[in-house]
Amino acid sequence: MAEEGLIEVTEDKFEDEVLRSEVPVLVDYWAPWCGPCKMAAPVLERIAGEYEGRLKVCKINVDEEREVASKHRIMSVPTMFLFKNGALVDQIVGVTPNFENDLKRRIEPYLD
Amino acid sequence: MTDTVYDVIIVGAGPAGLGCALYAARDRLKTLVIEKMIPGGQIYNTDRIENYPGIVRVDGPGLIDQMQKQVESFGAMISPGCEVTALEKRKDGNVAVLCGGDTHVARAVVLALGSQYRRLSVPGEEEFRNAGAGVSYCGTCDAPFFRGKEVVSVGGGNTAIEETLHLAKYTRKVTLVHRRDEFRADKVLTEELRLEAAKPDGHLVIRYDTIITAIQGEGTVQSVKLKNVKTGQEQDYPCDGVFVFVGMVPNTGFLKGIVQLTEHGFIRVDCAYLRTSMPGVFAAGDCRIGAAMQLVTAVADGVNAAITMKQYFRDPRWWHKPVTDEIQPGGW
Repeated sequence: MAEEGLIEVTEDKFEDEVLRSEVPVLVDYWAPWCGPCKMAAPVLERIAGEYEGRLKVCKINVDEEREVASKHRIMSVPTMFLFKNGALVDQIVGVTPNFENDLKRRIEPYLD
Repeated sequence: MTDTVYDVIIVGAGPAGLGCALYAARDRLKTLVIEKMIPGGQIYNTDRIENYPGIVRVDGPGLIDQMQKQVESFGAMISPGCEVTALEKRKDGNVAVLCGGDTHVARAVVLALGSQYRRLSVPGEEEFRNAGAGVSYCGTCDAPFFRGKEVVSVGGGNTAIEETLHLAKYTRKVTLVHRRDEFRADKVLTEELRLEAAKPDGHLVIRYDTIITAIQGEGTVQSVKLKNVKTGQEQDYPCDGVFVFVGMVPNTGFLKGIVQLTEHGFIRVDCAYLRTSMPGVFAAGDCRIGAAMQLVTAVADGVNAAITMKQYFRDPRWWHKPVTDEIQPGGW
């Protein structure tokens, strides 16, 4: 279920949505059983809104997309990968106490 | 900056904060709960609560959902996504808190800050954790990623046992490592653990008197260095992941120099009325000295603070008076 601004991605859409995106993409690997993922969700929505046009925010449900999860070596949720021009440029694992600010600080250097 | 002066601002919407908010709101006090992430705190990650009296079994999110709805039904406001970073006593007697760029003012403040995962502080822990490469502090979150693999868990309390039993459902093998020769967890849990460990398939192993001295691997976790604290013997123990359950540390960093803290960071309070060193400011739950670190005791602290707060409103000069049975805040 994609909220406004957050794009739900499946394995077959990954290349188009993420690797071929013209703007940097923040990919959130989440799972329904994961408490911290629920904590991260409103923050990610706010970030999607704030950086609209400069950043794309996607979600992958690792419970449903198990191949993607293991291919990308996800061992913990939430994990957020930042892709730019098809390459992985940064990652954040888990929800830090000052999550929204931390996330922005990590993302901003890669935005135009 | 708003002109509203609340009766009480509660910092933290975990069980302590919500317990306090419930009583404050039912007493028609203008109540604001400020939460840095979402309501629930630590308990949100638990899928198995069996020791809340009156509730045979419930999951964390389910319980918090009920608490939150209950609190809001009496008019308390919960404001998520903002972290309080400063606290100050004003000349007019009110207390101000700062979160984001906003200042909020109230006649009283209850600090229900909770705690966060204690680290092992061994080499490799930080790096593998940050890389999402095999170190975790939450079994319910990450167990499914270790299906069919072998993991090591560490700790001796309720969480360590519960989470190890949870891990045993997914992994091929889980080894629980503990530095002492007995667990401090509830006997009910250690009995369940020993039963699992006794099964012939050997999928749950217990190593007493043992600590982890390093977490090792190329890219991802591949082994841990174990040390027997009695014999001194060391060994490399292969595993695909490490789960750390060695306790919690209070989230009180920003309060240094503002209210009295213990050297470990817990807020100093008198344990009857939960008064801190700053008049009008109470502390409840895991963050205060002498906390039992339980869901139920956190809720009880929150409620106690809500009740003694009214004594403070009746007579602010009471703040430095000793605990006495002439003041039973609940009335007698």
